[in-house]
Amino acid sequence: MGGAVLVGLLAAAPPLLHNQYFTGVFIVCAIEAIWAASWNFFSGLTGRENFGTALFIGGGAYTAAFFNSTFGLNAWWSIPGGIVVAVVLGLVVGFPTLRLKGPYFALATLASAAIMQQVAINLWQYTGGSEGIYGLDRLVDSSLGYYYFVLAVLLATVLVLSLIAHSRWGTILRAIKGDETACQAAGINVTVYKIASLALSAAFAGLGGVLFAHYQQAVTPDDFDVFLSISVIIMAYVGGIGSIWGAAVGGILLNLMLELLRGMGEYRLLVYYLILMVVLFFMRSGVVVPLWRRLSGGRSA
Amino acid sequence: MLTVLIYGAVTSAILAMLAVGFTLIFGVARILNLAHGAFYALGAYCTYSLTATYKVPLIVAALASVALVALFGMAMERVLVRPQRQSSLAVLMITLMVALTVEQVLFVVFGSQSKNVPAFINFPVYLHGVSLDGQRLLALAVAVCLIGALWLFIQRTRLGSAILAISQDPEAAQYMGIPANRIFSLVMGLSAALAGAAGVIAGPFLSVRPTMDQTAMITAFSVVIVGGLGSIPGSILAALIIGYSETFVAFYLNPEWTGTVSLVAILLTLVLRPAGLMGRAVGA
Amino acid sequence: MSALLEVEGLTKRFSGVTAVKDVSFTLAAGEITGVLGPNGAGKTTLFNLLTGFLPSDHGAARLEGRSILRAAPHTIVNLGVARTFQLCRPFHGMTVRENVVVGCLAPRAQIGAGLEQRVSDILEEVGLAHKSEQPVDILPYGDLRRLEIGRALATRPKLLLLDEPFAGLGAGEIEPLVQLIHRLHDTQGLTILIIEHKLREFMQLVSRVIAMDFGEIIAIGEPADIVRNPLVIESYIGKADHGVA
Repeated sequence: MGGAVLVGLLAAAPPLLHNQYFTGVFIVCAIEAIWAASWNFFSGLTGRENFGTALFIGGGAYTAAFFNSTFGLNAWWSIPGGIVVAVVLGLVVGFPTLRLKGPYFALATLASAAIMQQVAINLWQYTGGSEGIYGLDRLVDSSLGYYYFVLAVLLATVLVLSLIAHSRWGTILRAIKGDETACQAAGINVTVYKIASLALSAAFAGLGGVLFAHYQQAVTPDDFDVFLSISVIIMAYVGGIGSIWGAAVGGILLNLMLELLRGMGEYRLLVYYLILMVVLFFMRSGVVVPLWRRLSGGRSA
Repeated sequence: MLTVLIYGAVTSAILAMLAVGFTLIFGVARILNLAHGAFYALGAYCTYSLTATYKVPLIVAALASVALVALFGMAMERVLVRPQRQSSLAVLMITLMVALTVEQVLFVVFGSQSKNVPAFINFPVYLHGVSLDGQRLLALAVAVCLIGALWLFIQRTRLGSAILAISQDPEAAQYMGIPANRIFSLVMGLSAALAGAAGVIAGPFLSVRPTMDQTAMITAFSVVIVGGLGSIPGSILAALIIGYSETFVAFYLNPEWTGTVSLVAILLTLVLRPAGLMGRAVGA
Repeated sequence: MSALLEVEGLTKRFSGVTAVKDVSFTLAAGEITGVLGPNGAGKTTLFNLLTGFLPSDHGAARLEGRSILRAAPHTIVNLGVARTFQLCRPFHGMTVRENVVVGCLAPRAQIGAGLEQRVSDILEEVGLAHKSEQPVDILPYGDLRRLEIGRALATRPKLLLLDEPFAGLGAGEIEPLVQLIHRLHDTQGLTILIIEHKLREFMQLVSRVIAMDFGEIIAIGEPADIVRNPLVIESYIGKADHGVA
């Protein structure tokens, strides 16, 4: 199966390239893939686009920073800690905002992440302000080791979320996307499903945040930035909305692209955005999943 | 005290200019234009560039900048937004991308340092024995005039009625032969012009750097949400509320927290009364 | 026969307009009752009140003694009240089968392992078994109506509310649907409340008619009597001047 080949490639690449720097790139790619997959689980399935994933990412990251750097706990505690915090954030934001219609939900989530970013900057006595917090430990000391760890988490994420997406839960989420009112009329407690799904999505995003924090060994308010939220959305678009693994691959591709553009110096982000705009504009149903379908002879994924 | 009163009014006026344009294009074309802040930034940078590099007289540069920004807005609507109009989220994404791209272009061309946009009025004005920044007073005056002009335009002219008609019922308006697409272009141009003008007039006393679109966007956005998307009077009212709130926070509490005022306002409104003060119901 | 549904003094106002005014009636278990009235009479508003999609201002509504007001729509469904919509609302982007599956996932349906079988049975009942894998977005309207009924049936309702089930159907599609509703009533003992303003279909199906106009009940009785009722006739003809059928 194609998936196995892909995973094999991903696993083999860094040791083959034997380059510390590229291993680092791959680590970030894999983490972003986790974020993209988590986003797609909620927003791709329900059609309610979350513009504030960075809230959960930053939440996980800062929790890791507090646990590990500020309070000196063992780094592994960050994982459950970050997940719990992200889930709480998901519930807190989800409860009041999930009843809002499309664009309003998007904007409310956007605002939530932005508020958190401001809070992180303003409460500098606790959060280190714009500088952030540094001095986190690596979860796994060797870069290669860290990469394989993150890769394993990525695989677990895609597996778990895909299983749920194909289960009854996933069917209900798609029905919510199809017609929420009709879903209520079919006896489904739509609110509970939406909140639970957002919380699950938040959990994985937060987990990614923890992994990111321990890799960078620092957290900054940029971990709450709208750019991060938008990047995640675009990765999911590139992958194909509604496809968990597609989003993951999309995440990897976009980050590789961003890396390859490093040679362009200060034009890097500009070119990146222009490419993204083209993709957004012309490929509304994504790149990865349609391409995969074409290559595998039109069988449905 | 007078200073706070006047400066609050200035902040409110600038916010109103930004918010009215944003709410106008939403009310008419249902476009949530996240590039609106970019228009503001472009207005300021255009003026700077024309005066500093090309030595164009200030008043000419100001007018040219507003015109250029208006054209840019219309071009964006025509080329990028209109084909995506079926999905409001696609529009959100693409306009956000435009905003980010403009920000990068400004960063690449002008660097990340703040720029000095020349002011029309460089001298202080004395009122009741208090010295006030002349440019700020001018900004207030210009904002009031422009918004007033827009209001009259919408209420008193045929074109204005057409705009109102479309915002209330786009389909019916089309049946009546009102050319929706042309109106969208026009309104986008007006919206961009207002934002650009805000940049031109406020540039001298507000910071001019590539990321200025973000703060402008967030604050304008909060005004529009609090006032109610699509309602011009709502925007003006909300601009006063938020403008004065920010001024109070800056003067009496902590200037660092002014950015949070708008964010909290957005969240409170969306949670308590999503339609805003004067908008339409938007619950799911 | 025991009353399945008791409605007393149900009232709903919308800023100045009283859409439903002091409506009271009882439905016995196993009855097929019709709600008749011109456009704007408050029929769909009544349905929305009974299914939790609108909060009521005054009055009571009880299903087997249990109040069904002030509850969320999904709660009411799980008490045994299912509805269809005037304009069909299928789950877009999903197949016929998946649409029914969702109805089976309601807590009330209590499906464990038997999901596939139950879905097949329902599709068989409403005559859509041969189209189960089709995406709903390409389904003809008559089939969408059947699908919506199937989805409602999946929730094992005691009371089924059908909102203008014959609207938008071509001549050939109406009769099969009438047969379907008859069949469902006979085989499953459903209590059914139908909104329609096409009299002919009514006469074939219902044993009792509740006639409404301007939000109020103006008459309740057997179809033959209602049709001759002067108030009812006036409510239709009076409106004919405004171009309403």
